[in-house]
Amino acid sequence: MTDRQRFDLSRILVVTGFILYIPANFLPVMTITITGEVEPLTVMGGVWELYDTGLAPVALIVFLASIMVPLMKLSSMAWILSLHGTPVHRQRRMALHGFLMRIGTWAMIDIFLLSVLTAVGQIGILASVTPESGALFYAAMLMCNVVGTDIYKPWLIWQEPKVQTT
Amino acid sequence: MMDSLTGDLAASPEIWLLCPRCHAECLDRDLHQGEFLRCTRCGTEVKSTLGGRRSILRAWAFATTAIFLMFLANTTPILKFDVIGNFQENRIFTGVQGLWDQGFEPLAGLVFFSAIAAPALYLLSVWYVSALCILRLRWPGRRFFFGMAKNLESWNLMPVFAVACVVSVVKLRTLGSVTWEPGAIWIALLSIFTLLTIQFFDRRHVEIDLEENP
Repeated sequence: MTDRQRFDLSRILVVTGFILYIPANFLPVMTITITGEVEPLTVMGGVWELYDTGLAPVALIVFLASIMVPLMKLSSMAWILSLHGTPVHRQRRMALHGFLMRIGTWAMIDIFLLSVLTAVGQIGILASVTPESGALFYAAMLMCNVVGTDIYKPWLIWQEPKVQTT
Repeated sequence: MMDSLTGDLAASPEIWLLCPRCHAECLDRDLHQGEFLRCTRCGTEVKSTLGGRRSILRAWAFATTAIFLMFLANTTPILKFDVIGNFQENRIFTGVQGLWDQGFEPLAGLVFFSAIAAPALYLLSVWYVSALCILRLRWPGRRFFFGMAKNLESWNLMPVFAVACVVSVVKLRTLGSVTWEPGAIWIALLSIFTLLTIQFFDRRHVEIDLEENP
């Protein structure tokens, strides 16, 4: 893959990620049924539920990992890509890219949470957890996020802009 | 794009090392014990007297332990959920199966890849490459497995899975009673040993070994 293709693909994935971020956060990711009471939950709804049951530290972890990390990654990558080919803030961009690579996959916590909860969904009518379409958008947004960051290699930050000749 | 560590400038007697992160060319020199050479542009460690063979040996030991733990983590239940006498034991694969059965095949595939396949392939690749490096063997597939280890390193999601298990237990306690099973201990240990494997797997040493003994 050429450097230009890496840059273009990363840009497309970041834009797609931003678009997918909206349905991923506004559509329910799961429905919890307990003794006949049906409750659809969005990602933020799950955080609120944890907070309401007095589990503020756990709610904070889920909030940071599943809402803040993807948004921060998308925004930071958009900033890094917008400065591609310019000599501005190269050291900062390098540091930020390294940081994004380290924290990037923590957003998977919501997908794993869903998988563990769905497993108990098979217990019967008393309690069930079923995934919803929001989870698919969330997973797609996450993939755009992870691949978009991974495909844009740090050395591309140091590339000099090509001089056009006539 | 050149992916090798060493590169030489035309008509130059000095040896130049290519920074693996930003691809800047750094002038090589002999190092004293405990000294290391950093890239002047991005600060990445380009050469060091630390690490090397001893580090690879440790990575191999940690990978061996982690592979054993991975087998236990995947075969023993993580937690037991109980609602008025109906109970279910939960393994890593139960979640994959649950998502698949409910028609969410892409999610099932993603969970299978990131919680089972990627950690397994990463650890097996590190184990194989490290063993060949330590024993100075030139068996086939070294480059392939080394490439796989490099690409799958960022997909080490066992610590994320371990935290997700804790959060899910907290959440499930609002629905019924939950008890931890031995699988949870294996997942916690697997997370630690995978992180140790990553820490000690000296990629630079393997790259040098691949170049010197193709």
